[in-house]
Amino acid sequence: MSINKSDGLRIGESHVREAESRFPGVIREVRWICDDQIVLDVVPEKAPDVIEYLYYDRGGWLSVVVGNDERPINDAYAVYYVLSMEEADPCYCIVRVEVPKDPGEFYSVSPKVPAVVWGEREVQDLFGLRALGIIDNRNLVLPDDWPQGLYPLRKDTMDYRYRPEPTTDVENYEFLKDTGDRETTVIPMGPLHITSDEPGHFRLFVEGEQIIDADYRMFYVHRGMEKCAESRMNYDTVPFLAERICGICGFAHSVAYAESVEHAQGIEIPLRAQFIRSIILETERLHSHLLNLGLVCHFTGFDTGFHHMFRVREQSMDLAEMLTGARKTYGLNLIGGVRRDILAEQKVSTLKYLDRMRSEVANLVDELLSTPNFIDRTEGVGILDRKVARDYSPVGPTVRGSGFERDARWCHPFDGYKSLDRKAITAGSCDVKGRTLVRIGEFMDSLDIISELLENAPSGPVLNENWTYEPHRFAVGWTEAPRGEDVHWSMIGNNQKCYRWRAKASTYSNWPVLRYMFRGNTISDAAMIVGSLDPCYSCTERVTIVDVKKRKQQILTKQQLENYCVDRRHTPLEY
Amino acid sequence: MLKTLKEIIRTGDATVKYPFAPIERPKDARGKPEHDLANCMACGACAVACPPNAIQMVIDSRAQSTSWSINYGRCVYCGRCEEVCPTKAIRLSTEFELAVMDKNDLEEICMYSLQSCTECGSPFAPAKEVDYAYRILTQFVDDPDARQAAELVKVCPRCKQKRDSQRAKQNFESLGGVS
Ligand code: SF4
Ligand code: SF4
Repeated sequence: MSINKSDGLRIGESHVREAESRFPGVIREVRWICDDQIVLDVVPEKAPDVIEYLYYDRGGWLSVVVGNDERPINDAYAVYYVLSMEEADPCYCIVRVEVPKDPGEFYSVSPKVPAVVWGEREVQDLFGLRALGIIDNRNLVLPDDWPQGLYPLRKDTMDYRYRPEPTTDVENYEFLKDTGDRETTVIPMGPLHITSDEPGHFRLFVEGEQIIDADYRMFYVHRGMEKCAESRMNYDTVPFLAERICGICGFAHSVAYAESVEHAQGIEIPLRAQFIRSIILETERLHSHLLNLGLVCHFTGFDTGFHHMFRVREQSMDLAEMLTGARKTYGLNLIGGVRRDILAEQKVSTLKYLDRMRSEVANLVDELLSTPNFIDRTEGVGILDRKVARDYSPVGPTVRGSGFERDARWCHPFDGYKSLDRKAITAGSCDVKGRTLVRIGEFMDSLDIISELLENAPSGPVLNENWTYEPHRFAVGWTEAPRGEDVHWSMIGNNQKCYRWRAKASTYSNWPVLRYMFRGNTISDAAMIVGSLDPCYSCTERVTIVDVKKRKQQILTKQQLENYCVDRRHTPLEY
Repeated sequence: MLKTLKEIIRTGDATVKYPFAPIERPKDARGKPEHDLANCMACGACAVACPPNAIQMVIDSRAQSTSWSINYGRCVYCGRCEEVCPTKAIRLSTEFELAVMDKNDLEEICMYSLQSCTECGSPFAPAKEVDYAYRILTQFVDDPDARQAAELVKVCPRCKQKRDSQRAKQNFESLGGVS
């Protein structure tokens, strides 16, 4: 048990006390599931008030909303709101709301804290629970032609391989638009295009060139990984699946999952393993940020820069391969530590790689920043208003570009980061430029972090195999992936199974603010703005443009839109 | 502009000749798992550890055999199999060019015979695994437990249970108990 020296309270206890005195009798039970994670079991009617209080008055941000079918354990469902407390007394507060299986309703928190809306929509889709008063009642994860009453994550509904037939051929998803009495054109982008890697559908409502509002539909490629893990995998093989959530920041997911189990079961990870995890996480950031910087070059019409960024990026891939045995999917994590040590000779060559990248990237950044087009295209574009950011809990360079010091590495230090004394890198301009500068700063910072960690890593074992587990304990694990905080919540079941696993990727937190970032910009900036989220590139395939005035609809290819973004001549809207 | 030109000239060629020239991978790179048929005793540890079930074992008791198969299309090159194998019969190589024209070529299968129980005759475990256990047990010459286990190594678990219960019954009766 860790006690805070100054006031003699446990970590996070100040939040509990304040909430208890403000809402007497509302918190039914409080328990610490590990040093810095507290579960508050709250009376359902009052949950929205407690969460609003913790969120806005105690410096909380939403990490993830988790639904869980606990009928086999305690005959009810539960919804967990995981709040990351980042101001005074940092910790994770997990508000647990028990949802009786009949009628399966709970009070939506979304009217008070809009950040939870995606999470609650997902719980509605996958568990068939109803969030009373939710501000957006549309499907999120499930397709619109999914059979009524089939809720995939209920334990007794369906086999994970079952693929039901679509129930309708009619498109029935309603796109939101808040355009007042202005007449707008609609530009849909997506969901599928032969040239693109991941689908997503965007609809921009425009007036001439100006974007008035935007809405989108995602989850065309929901892979059902959570269901798959819960149905057929053992809890100790899930790190390998978690790693495949993302082709770019997979290691961050694998660490977050492993640590969720380690936190829940109280498993100590050897110090050296903690350092190795941090070193590899930073290596992953190197190649991810170079990828995004390359794309920024591309979008601002500086394709030479794009190629050079990708050329240098190859060194970070080589570095990763040298350290882990693969360019991606490093396969390094087990519950209890890592599987490979970093040898002395590898340390030497890592430092060499770092030096080379440091000087090469410094040159390239210098080139990029002195390209007049870059400033011109990014300054004041895609503004993420600070208030919107506060309401929706975005993460990573997206929120740091709007001046918030949200970085899980420094807000909730874990692994090797505990030994470092650093601060989040931020920018105050709230625009695409700000977010790009944050990434540049972080890239350079990562180089220093890796060398510092390599120098200071203690010697010793890298894997702890000496532990046992207790079913049905849960906890969260987190990492700061290149795009922001990844949070995993997991509960182990009987027979080595994973009972429930909820993985929240960073971009999940960033989509909801995109709508606001689009508003007031021109169509030629749309791809640029999406690119500034660095959303694993899942969204810019096609755009449908709807001109409400002319009552016309037009579909643009990704190529058309990108070309327009790059040269800004020949608007594709001339029809 | 000048900076960019200078950078271009300084960089020169960045591409390599691959696939027309071989490409070097670091010596610890994880590639195709190579299975050594002779060393493998079909214990199944790898099949249990393999996260995507690329390695599978299927017992056919009628044919008194078990198959061990690996599907390279499913393999994620994690190396868990290598880690858990007691006889080092499976090792990851650095080979990564595994494309084939026919999907079936991605699978490799080998068969191992099963040991039949010396008492009831039904097959119960891979013969090589039983032999492996026997060879380990016989190293502990001074240990009576090991000696007894070695004697019974070819008896299936059910017959062992039967023996145990019979012995327990005899003991019980010899102590004057009534059954
Ligand atoms: S390398 Fe991993 S995935 Fe491939 S066979 Fe071995 S355990 Fe299975
Ligand atoms: S673990 Fe080794 S010995 Fe056992 S089945 Fe697999 S390859 Fe064969």
